[in-house]
Amino acid sequence: MKIIHLADSHLGFSSYSRLDEHGQNRIEEMVYSGFEKAIEQIIRAHPDAVVHAGDVFHHVRPKIKPLFIFQRGLQRLVEAAIPVIIISGNHDAPKSFNQTSPFRLFEGLRDVHIAQRYSYERFEVGDHCFHCIPFCSEPQDYLTEFGEIKRSGRDVLVMHGMVESLKNQKMRSVGEHELNDSLLKSDFDYIALGHYHGQAQVSANAYYSGSVEYFNFGEARDVKGMLLVDLETGKASNVPVKPNYMIDHPPIDCSGMRSDEIAEIIMDMCHEDEISDRMVRINLKNVNRVAYRSIDQGKLNRLGGAAIYFKIRLDFCDEEDRIERPVDRRMLHVDFAGFLGERRSANLIPETIKDEVVSYGTEIMKKAVLARQKETTDAP
Amino acid sequence: MVTPKLDIDHIRGERAERDSDRLVIENERTTYRILSKSVREYHFIVPYDSYQDRVEVGQIFSIRDRDLTFLARILNIEHSSNYDGHWDTTMRGTQFYDDDQIFNRVIAEPLGCVSSDGAFRKARTLPTKFSPVERAEKEEFGFLKSAMGDIEVGYLRNGSILVEDIPVSLHSNAMDHHMGVFATTGMGKSNFMKVFAASCMRLAARGESKFGLLIVDPHGEYLKGKDLTRGLVHLKRYREGLACYSTDPKNASDPDVEELAIAESNIRPEDIALLYDWSPPQRDALDAISRILDSGSWLEEIQRPEGLARMVQDGFKDTTIMVLIRRIKNELERNKYIKKRSSLDNIIARLQKGDVVLVDIPRISDRSELFLLSVLSRHILEEYKKDPSGERKNCLITIEEAQRVLGGGNNISRFESIAREGRKFGVGLCAITQQPKLIDRQLLSQFNTLVVMGLGDRNDRQQLEESAKQDLSSMDIEIQTLEKGEAVVSTLKIPFPVPAKIHRFEDYLRRLNQEEKDEGLIKRGGFKPFLP
Repeated sequence: MKIIHLADSHLGFSSYSRLDEHGQNRIEEMVYSGFEKAIEQIIRAHPDAVVHAGDVFHHVRPKIKPLFIFQRGLQRLVEAAIPVIIISGNHDAPKSFNQTSPFRLFEGLRDVHIAQRYSYERFEVGDHCFHCIPFCSEPQDYLTEFGEIKRSGRDVLVMHGMVESLKNQKMRSVGEHELNDSLLKSDFDYIALGHYHGQAQVSANAYYSGSVEYFNFGEARDVKGMLLVDLETGKASNVPVKPNYMIDHPPIDCSGMRSDEIAEIIMDMCHEDEISDRMVRINLKNVNRVAYRSIDQGKLNRLGGAAIYFKIRLDFCDEEDRIERPVDRRMLHVDFAGFLGERRSANLIPETIKDEVVSYGTEIMKKAVLARQKETTDAP
Repeated sequence: MVTPKLDIDHIRGERAERDSDRLVIENERTTYRILSKSVREYHFIVPYDSYQDRVEVGQIFSIRDRDLTFLARILNIEHSSNYDGHWDTTMRGTQFYDDDQIFNRVIAEPLGCVSSDGAFRKARTLPTKFSPVERAEKEEFGFLKSAMGDIEVGYLRNGSILVEDIPVSLHSNAMDHHMGVFATTGMGKSNFMKVFAASCMRLAARGESKFGLLIVDPHGEYLKGKDLTRGLVHLKRYREGLACYSTDPKNASDPDVEELAIAESNIRPEDIALLYDWSPPQRDALDAISRILDSGSWLEEIQRPEGLARMVQDGFKDTTIMVLIRRIKNELERNKYIKKRSSLDNIIARLQKGDVVLVDIPRISDRSELFLLSVLSRHILEEYKKDPSGERKNCLITIEEAQRVLGGGNNISRFESIAREGRKFGVGLCAITQQPKLIDRQLLSQFNTLVVMGLGDRNDRQQLEESAKQDLSSMDIEIQTLEKGEAVVSTLKIPFPVPAKIHRFEDYLRRLNQEEKDEGLIKRGGFKPFLP
């Protein structure tokens, strides 16, 4: 049995304010077209099943357009008689009971199996059993739900979240939507993972397919696409959907450069054929602020018109003097605890409620930071 | 002749009556009086046939003398009397002694004194003659409570009586200074380690731990227990403080137990070097591998003809290299956990977070265990060296049957380096052994925390007494007579070696599992932060 594994379509994602000729967000449109290309590729490959490992939509309440794009794609797969297995991810699973999952719209379609109820579901497709653990509201629920699995001998596991070892390797911060490595059991024929946007093998039988699109410059070096998996041999091979369209240039040291020299560097990197239909970022460090300002700003603004997105990231040489320390949003609770500590030692908090204020305040801040992160930063 | 009938109860009653005549009863507590002798040794006497209150070696007595309370531990008990010469073996009819003239002389060593403000210090003076002596109770031990640490392992024991109000707890802060657990088989080493680990799990789950604990368990008894005993996974209340890795497919089928995997790229030539006795040319070749081949993929490369050719090109005989390859293949074959994936990063992350990491490797050979321990400890030391001052927690590596690797010889180098320099980087060793006499004396002297649980062998005790940082020599008799589950705990932060009764793991488990969740306001209240 052969399957195609994809994940993290993030339909509805829009970023940077560039609009196309119809006034639509260029990135958003690019994500839709990428998804449609992926559907075409799948139909061409005609696998025995398609697995989408979470985050079909970027928002819990998608707009009509992403819903429509998804419905059209799904319909094409159904017509092509390709069974589809989908799980909800951290982006498209409602976080409170008064919301309804967008996937409810697609229930009842023939050969479309969607796990979106925060609990384990099992679907038998072809000669394999697909064990799906969608987004769960509490981290410890994954272990409990995993405990429900009864192996059939031909099993595929589908999950969404950041695998512990990958998190450790990538030095990602806490608060990620995390999956323990202990769930990556070797007796599954294949483990299809979603959430991490680069294609990656995390154990002998477990893979992230990666996303089709690039969502931020942190992903510039990631391999993108889908995976074609032969469940008999366990072999997984990349199915590229789009050519690599993100260029994040390595930083150039501009110490001591005059404005014309800086301008020349920038122009050299902006040949139209090199940046056309790409997302490009030029990184300049140790730039003299005055020198940069004296470059013709109008000319700079016109640069990169052919690109989907174009940005010059500047690191001025006097930056350090002006800013003491960058504020890391993810570490706000640590800063806040430090602040409370100072207030406390200066006896600015009444004695009777000191402990409660420090523990409660720090905990609240931590929760807020983590929740915020789950919502926004663990994916694009 | 009519033989008088012995009425035991009557005799006992009479003796008790005599005892009560001779004892000074104050507030219904047995009180003796200090008689002699010096700042370093106290003597007092107790009735020779006391049935009421038998004294034992190891018991701690308190001597109240105005504003000071001296504490003294019984070292020995001797028969003694006011008679001279061989009076007790001279036949003089039936009544050849006078009850008031014979007694037991108790010899005790001073532990220190507690002043009226509750501060404990070493005794530089001696209590006034005839100061009252009585068995120390929880009030006298009160000062110990503040001296105890955060890792509870048992209760204070006074002789064979438990003082349940005073838990014996080790200090987290002292754990990078190495720890030794010494006991002969069956005295409760495994039970102690499980209790210790459970306390560490509790701290980790509450976010209070100061170090990560690595336990490599070759006997498969810590994870789920063995026979009737229970394991660490049964501590459900604090389960999140434990990370489990197992080579046993049955254990690894649990959702929260990870299959142990070590990547080939994690293995270095020196890990292989540890396992065999090598000839000088073979050792040279091993040393040269990291220079000639790529350090990340040498294991694969050397098994390929090109790798072999590169080694030969560098002047090594192909027969020498073939021996290396053969042995490497054997190791790879033997250690099925060597895979493409690696659990090492996870293990390090959990240790740095302060959790208990249990590596369960049942039915694995001695050699494979050493190999794994070597890879793990090297990796840990390297990672900790990289970041000596970061936010990460310290780490304590447990080594079972430590005499294998800390006893001198070729194998010693890896662990010796941790013992010697680990402290600088926050890596400590917890050596568990039945034979401290086989452990390198110098290394033993680096151990700041000792848990001694009954050692029959005189040489073992001697080795410990000579190397320990606290003076254990006077406790020789006590260590020899320790019963199962009893221990003497010596650690620098607690002012004297403390007699303890280690908790039975199953009882401790029950107690911890019933502990109330300390939830604090954040979880009790209905307030939820508003998140846009």
